[in-house]
Amino acid sequence: MKQLIQATIAILVVSALLFYAAHTLSASGGNSGKNTVTIFNWGEYIDPNLLKQFEKETGMRVIYETFDSNEAMMTKIQQGGTAYDIAIPSEYMIEKMKEEKLLLPLDKSKIPNLKNIDPYFLDLPFDEDNQYSIPYFWGTVGIVYNPNYVGDLDFSSWNDLWDPSLKRKVFLVDGAREVMGMGLNSLGYSLNSLDNQQLRQATDKLITLAPNIKAIIGDEITPLMINNEATVALTWSGQAADMLSENEELDFAVPQEGSNLWFDNMVIPKTSKNLEGAHAFINFMLKAESGAQNADYVGYSTPNLAAMALMDEEVVTDERFYPSEEQRDTLEVYKNLGPDYLGKYNELFLEFKMSIR
Amino acid sequence: MNKLSTSAKIYLTLVFIVLYAPIFYLIFYSFNSGGSMNNFESFTLEHYQAVFEDSRLIVILINTVIVALLSAFISTVIGTLGAIGIVSLKDAKMRNTLLSLNNVLIVSPDVIIGASFLILFTMIGIKLGFVSVLLAHVAFSVPIVVLMVLPKLLEMNSSLIDAALDLGATKKDVMMRVILPYIQPGIFAGFFLALTYSLDDFAVTFFVTGNGFSTLSVEIYSMARAGISLTVNAISGLVFLVTILVVIGYYVMTSRTRKRTEGRP
Repeated sequence: MKQLIQATIAILVVSALLFYAAHTLSASGGNSGKNTVTIFNWGEYIDPNLLKQFEKETGMRVIYETFDSNEAMMTKIQQGGTAYDIAIPSEYMIEKMKEEKLLLPLDKSKIPNLKNIDPYFLDLPFDEDNQYSIPYFWGTVGIVYNPNYVGDLDFSSWNDLWDPSLKRKVFLVDGAREVMGMGLNSLGYSLNSLDNQQLRQATDKLITLAPNIKAIIGDEITPLMINNEATVALTWSGQAADMLSENEELDFAVPQEGSNLWFDNMVIPKTSKNLEGAHAFINFMLKAESGAQNADYVGYSTPNLAAMALMDEEVVTDERFYPSEEQRDTLEVYKNLGPDYLGKYNELFLEFKMSIR
Repeated sequence: MNKLSTSAKIYLTLVFIVLYAPIFYLIFYSFNSGGSMNNFESFTLEHYQAVFEDSRLIVILINTVIVALLSAFISTVIGTLGAIGIVSLKDAKMRNTLLSLNNVLIVSPDVIIGASFLILFTMIGIKLGFVSVLLAHVAFSVPIVVLMVLPKLLEMNSSLIDAALDLGATKKDVMMRVILPYIQPGIFAGFFLALTYSLDDFAVTFFVTGNGFSTLSVEIYSMARAGISLTVNAISGLVFLVTILVVIGYYVMTSRTRKRTEGRP
């Protein structure tokens, strides 16, 4: 019995000590309401020093939490019980959250640094006039490859993927929009095509790619490419940047026929309790210095022109990740296809997957 | 104990190698200065330094341990009392029903438990965070504790209690001086099992974390999206160390109890 009591006391004392430690570590200001900004971001998607700088500059405390998928993030916000002031979803999710009335409109008079953002990335169809969202990072879909193993192919065209020398070597991301978009682009069609005939043609063309396909997978492609266990993969530019930084042999190309332009944007969810702080944070992240520091850390492409001026010239003139004006015209943002066509895309993607053996 | 034959020894060694190799592989690379798990360049502690410099990660680590300790403690109290209650039921049908209901909770998938907690908490207006995670962990740990304590109770000879009552013990005395000391090993086993369950739970926690409160498993999961960085290795190494300490703690405690009980005639 004595032992049970001893153990109980020990547990309670240790918990109390840890509680105190956690409290002193995390609390440098007040702990709720007006003085904190709660941020909900992708994992490993911000330079942690920026959060400290923001705390120092504004005196507000940052509570930072991460998510691993747009869907998980939306569920947390939709269910309530949370008080996120900032979230950073991708563009298709912003459209969806807008429809579900989960976002608050931005007060642009509180975000003067918006002038730093390249106008090319503003006022896009998923959020006209940037009523709800401000670009955080952006990118494209392209092909990452290892030049040592693919001969003369440079993937300036999607059709290079069909090259017979790539038999059982091509990895694709498991996304209906990405793969169908590639098929449509390779034929010179829009990746938002609503033309049944074009979709049919694209699927038929994709089916002829089947002998070259090794696998259709998700994030696991990153380690495979880094370890030279895969030679060619269709992937997002952000992921490709990660791979290139780990394995210098690799190269990345966005084919000329066109590709997707994607965004992760900062938004204020309707759960926000500190609108002042949320706007201050967005404005802080749009500063030239913060933008440059963050882009250096994360390695994705920044939409911040003023930040690009501060960054390594070699990085911002790299046309693989900052495409030229000319190539930008070929890029398209995914449009909301509506449930009918989304279903159709998924169905055709499945048909393509079934053709692989 | 019987001497093991050579082949049995080889088999055992192989099994343990297979079980432990991935963990040691992970920890080994946490000392790599190369920045990835590809080739080992040279020894460094920079990844551990990165963990300790990132106060957010440390807070998450501490939170994980607090939740584990408290939830294991609370569920041990509830579970032990529950087990005593179940055993003392006269009605066998009722007792079996309760036991089956307890077991259903153990076998039902974590994802479903997690999702239903999320719905419940948001419905009754509990803010997601420390409290919601703690409550959820207590809830899934209680059945485990019940299951660990129950065998000890069943093994106990009921005439012990009768004898104590005959000798003038009050109900409180019976509880404090007969039942609890007898089932003490079961209570400790239940506590430590609940502790490890809480430490490594992902599925349930995933649903009920929020507002900046997060535990290690959930955090590592979202970090791993961008490829496993060696910080994850370092923190996994630390957690492994903590787990080893817990196991040693458990061993010391049980062997002390055993010595004491063996010492008595």
